[in-house]
Amino acid sequence: MSAMIEAGARIAAQELVYRTALALDAVDFPGFLALCGESFHYRISAYSPEIRKEMTWLEHDRKGMELLFKNLPKHNSDRSLLSRHAAVYTVSFAGDGAVADVVSGLQVYRTTLDGGATELFAVGKMFDKVSVGEGGARLVDRHIKLDTRMFGIGFHIPF
Amino acid sequence: MARTGKEWHEKPDFPNTHFVDTRIYTDEALFREEQEKIFNKVWIIACHESEIPNAYDYRTFHHPGGAELFVVRGDDMKVRSFYNICPHRGNTLLYDPVGNAKRITCIFHAWSFDSRGACTDISRSKQGYQERFGTKDAGLREVRADVGFGGFVWVALDDAAPTLKEFIGPAMDMLGEHLSMDLEVFHYHKAVVKTNYKLWHDTNSEFYHDYMHYFNRATGMIQPGYFDRKYTGYKNGHASVGSMSIKYDAYDGSAARGVGWPGLAPGGWILIDIFPGMTYNLRTSVLRMDTAIPSGPNELIIEFRGLGLKSDTPEQRAERVRDHNTIWGPFGRNLHEDLLGVHGQGIAMRERTDSKWVLHGREENMTIHDEGGMRHFYDEWGRRMERKAYDPYGDNQLEAA
Repeated sequence: MSAMIEAGARIAAQELVYRTALALDAVDFPGFLALCGESFHYRISAYSPEIRKEMTWLEHDRKGMELLFKNLPKHNSDRSLLSRHAAVYTVSFAGDGAVADVVSGLQVYRTTLDGGATELFAVGKMFDKVSVGEGGARLVDRHIKLDTRMFGIGFHIPF
Repeated sequence: MARTGKEWHEKPDFPNTHFVDTRIYTDEALFREEQEKIFNKVWIIACHESEIPNAYDYRTFHHPGGAELFVVRGDDMKVRSFYNICPHRGNTLLYDPVGNAKRITCIFHAWSFDSRGACTDISRSKQGYQERFGTKDAGLREVRADVGFGGFVWVALDDAAPTLKEFIGPAMDMLGEHLSMDLEVFHYHKAVVKTNYKLWHDTNSEFYHDYMHYFNRATGMIQPGYFDRKYTGYKNGHASVGSMSIKYDAYDGSAARGVGWPGLAPGGWILIDIFPGMTYNLRTSVLRMDTAIPSGPNELIIEFRGLGLKSDTPEQRAERVRDHNTIWGPFGRNLHEDLLGVHGQGIAMRERTDSKWVLHGREENMTIHDEGGMRHFYDEWGRRMERKAYDPYGDNQLEAA
């Protein structure tokens, strides 16, 4: 991969990460899924020092994510707004350069509907795999490793 | 028809046992009394034995009565519990929630203790205390601990409390055969909610609130057998709800479960509430344990544990984790809804909101939508508090039930 192509792929991968955050912030699930590949895999995990174990809190393939989004309106949920702040730390390419490994810092803020108070809701890191082929950048794997393990009443919408 | 202020405060047209005064959820003095008369008198789950598998493993625990404790597996593999406080100047002994300490040494002045609670070293003891005071005078305060009913570590602050077996009585019989294998905690998280601990236990004691859960309506309420489940009340305020078979494939994307649980019918579900705030919830492939730890009348920490079998293969464990978190994880379908519900109660009933009564009036032959589980709880609450839940201060001018 030439330096120029790699630079372009790097920008495309970074922008994709930011676009996924924008789509989820806007509760635009079709828009989010449009940024994901057909083999998309999503996982949220956290390490518990209390039980000394890695815990998987949410894990779905693309179909599972589609069903999760489809079922959301049938559930009672906290409807506060979330704002995801992603900061891309590293973008690295291996092999033929078709997939970028992107590591980002993640901060999630929650803003209440009543009054609009904002609080830091969660922090962690995102480990993404982004395909950067001719069809444009697509998210093929996202693993969010959370530092935060206390969310009060929790949340139905993935980060 | 809407009601006037006067009508709003009128006694509900039920027997006195079928409603409670909301001050029991909001009053600071009542909560302090509950700590003394209830939490400090009963057995409480501090952790699970799988969290301290090795000699000298320890786990800290904030007891709902207020005391800071730790549980430690001794050099003899016996599990003991002590106040997590140095008898010298009151410093916390163990800061981390979990660890391994052959020798427990206070960071302040280096006093040391062994895993049986004995003080083993006082720095410069002879120079400072001469013969007046020594290690034999400085042991830790031991708290009664027992391991049982699924390998949980229970603690009791009251040295005169009945044994754990006496406290539980027959309440766990329905689960007994299902807890015969070694279990292991695979999930742990805490939720802090501005609500009263009893409201959380109430939610675990009534299933009428399945209307809140789309998942439960689809997989349970509209399925055969749902309305056959019955509450059974036991001595000391415990209660159980019988099994039913959950039809998981009725929820889009939630296939029938394969891994199961020893002795439990496929899709089975058994729930047992232990007074005053612990719930065993065995559902198909996972045991969930809730421990309610209040720190005020409107401040609650809930510890959530998910358990599988210690003998699980990685594939079996992965399935249990999936089953657990789909419903009960921090991003799960049901847990968020349950917490949202009690969070809302905490807002609506907090002091000075002019809330007055909560109704427990449903009677359906003690089947699933009967509110007898809560009535049973408040009967025990009243006995221990020497107060009536419907009239905690005797100023409601109600006739005797």
